[in-house]
Amino acid sequence: MSGPPMALDQAGPMVMPKRLRAAEIVAVVPEIRRRSAESLITVDFREVEEFDTSTVAFLRHLTACFPGVVAANVPDALARAEAGFARRPDACWPEKPAVAPTGSRWGRFLQSMAGRFLARMRLLGRYMAMFGDEVYHIGLYLRKRKGVYPGETWNQMFFMGYRSFPIVCLLLFLVGVTISITSAEQLRLFGADIYIADLVGYAMLRELVPLMTGVILAGKVGAAVTAELASMTVLEEVDALRTMGVVPEKFLMVPRLIAITLVVPLLVAMADVAGIFGGIVTARITFGILPSAFLDQMLNTVDWTDFTWGLVKTVVFGWAVVVGAGFKGLTVGRSAEEVGRATTESVVLSITLIIIIDCIFAFVLY
Amino acid sequence: MDIITARNLTVGYGLSEVLCDISFAIPARRITAVVGISGSGKSTLLKTLAGLLPPLGGGFEFAGRPVDYRSEASLRNLYGRIGVLYQDGALLNGLSLYENVALPVRMHYPELPEAVVRDMVHAGLAQVEMADSAEKSPSELSGGMRKRGALARALVLDPEVVFCDEPSSGLDPITSQRLDDLLLRLKETFKMTLVVVTHELRSIERVADRVILLNDGGLRFAGDYADLAASEDEFIRTFFLTKDHHHDDA
Repeated sequence: MSGPPMALDQAGPMVMPKRLRAAEIVAVVPEIRRRSAESLITVDFREVEEFDTSTVAFLRHLTACFPGVVAANVPDALARAEAGFARRPDACWPEKPAVAPTGSRWGRFLQSMAGRFLARMRLLGRYMAMFGDEVYHIGLYLRKRKGVYPGETWNQMFFMGYRSFPIVCLLLFLVGVTISITSAEQLRLFGADIYIADLVGYAMLRELVPLMTGVILAGKVGAAVTAELASMTVLEEVDALRTMGVVPEKFLMVPRLIAITLVVPLLVAMADVAGIFGGIVTARITFGILPSAFLDQMLNTVDWTDFTWGLVKTVVFGWAVVVGAGFKGLTVGRSAEEVGRATTESVVLSITLIIIIDCIFAFVLY
Repeated sequence: MDIITARNLTVGYGLSEVLCDISFAIPARRITAVVGISGSGKSTLLKTLAGLLPPLGGGFEFAGRPVDYRSEASLRNLYGRIGVLYQDGALLNGLSLYENVALPVRMHYPELPEAVVRDMVHAGLAQVEMADSAEKSPSELSGGMRKRGALARALVLDPEVVFCDEPSSGLDPITSQRLDDLLLRLKETFKMTLVVVTHELRSIERVADRVILLNDGGLRFAGDYADLAASEDEFIRTFFLTKDHHHDDA
């Protein structure tokens, strides 16, 4: 790099203080920068007696990286320390060259959005690949009954079904109560009180029970499965399985997928009952509708098809949750903090997928 | 006879090369110590040799057959012939020690009668003097016991090669020595090949027949432990032969 030669600074050398550590360096740097921009300056170290690594790095920075600054009268001890430091090839980090932005602002924005979109698509592709692998593993397991730990499916059924049952029933009961109360006033205006039974029954069986059960499974089962698998990955248990010749994607995921497939119908049935019961209780209190009249009216509108489609949707949501949990848990990095991050991401991914799949079902079914 | 032969092997993660273009051989029925300072690529190399991390370049042969990472059959063949002792044991926490050791047997031979599995597990646990703790869960075991339990799991299917990732780390000197004695017994009694990743100098001194020393992304030394003493290499002398280093390590 060449330029016009600068004149020597008329103010004379800058003498560094006796104690020159990080705090003192911070104090002198602005002046060095200001004066060296205008002229050649000499930084005099003759009085320096107390120094540390930051002083050595500062000296390196002056002599190697700052043009227009000359170090003078460096004490022997500091020079020796600097020489030792200089033997390390990485002592002076190269500054990253600034990358000038190219293209217009809109172009860069679109490029960034396209990059993010492609990253999401790649993620979705990997997720779908895992989904396909799991279908293959389940098929293989059902045919050969090999590669899964005996009893694990029961354990998972107990955890996913029995442990989720109280919260699912409670929340769906409350959803039934809420939807009755919020629609009661409108129906009363038209004298259509009895149609609350149709509304609650249809909404519960077709939409609210599958969706709410899916979301509860994402929060409860999905988070727990991700945390467990991610911890196993971090603690090398997944690697250990692999080197034992066990396929972790089969050994860990197949019992969970079979369990969710078996427990979801029971959960949905219970949740349907709880939700409709919530509607019945509210209708009795608000409109004085007898439970028998409520059920008669509801059964005029809903039938087994509604229950079956609700069931099918919830099973698909359950699969989306468990595969999402496995995907995040088995692809986690190697640090403990990533376990928490993967768990959060798994819940977000599961809920997003549930809503997307629900939307697709809505187009197909209505 | 060499059981593992690596040629121009480059290992790393993604685009980042940790070890570049190294070639070495690991002899059968001996203990080879893979050593180096922290971050030198010991565990990365072990992961590649154990079939967990595809090489970025070159390759290696196991018992005369090249290991092809793209072939499931090749990897399955490798997994069936090795055992791995992980740094923290990596016992599955949801299973008891007995079930952990029985796991590879049940997965590979599900049709074996339970009585046979029980005998195999007992033999594995007896080798590492852990038969009394069979019903304990991994969380009830001390660090040394977890490692011995994990070693029993690695040995239960009689592998040809056992990879040990820092078996002495985090252990007191007495437990560490017991583990070293166990490795020596495995070599002498069962004619097993052991590849031990470590930087514990005392452990290397006790067990290693051969040494592979990694430094600066390459291979610094590969040969018999006895030959180290004759080495004029400054790094090797600093690493192995400085008396102070031994004391510091202790």
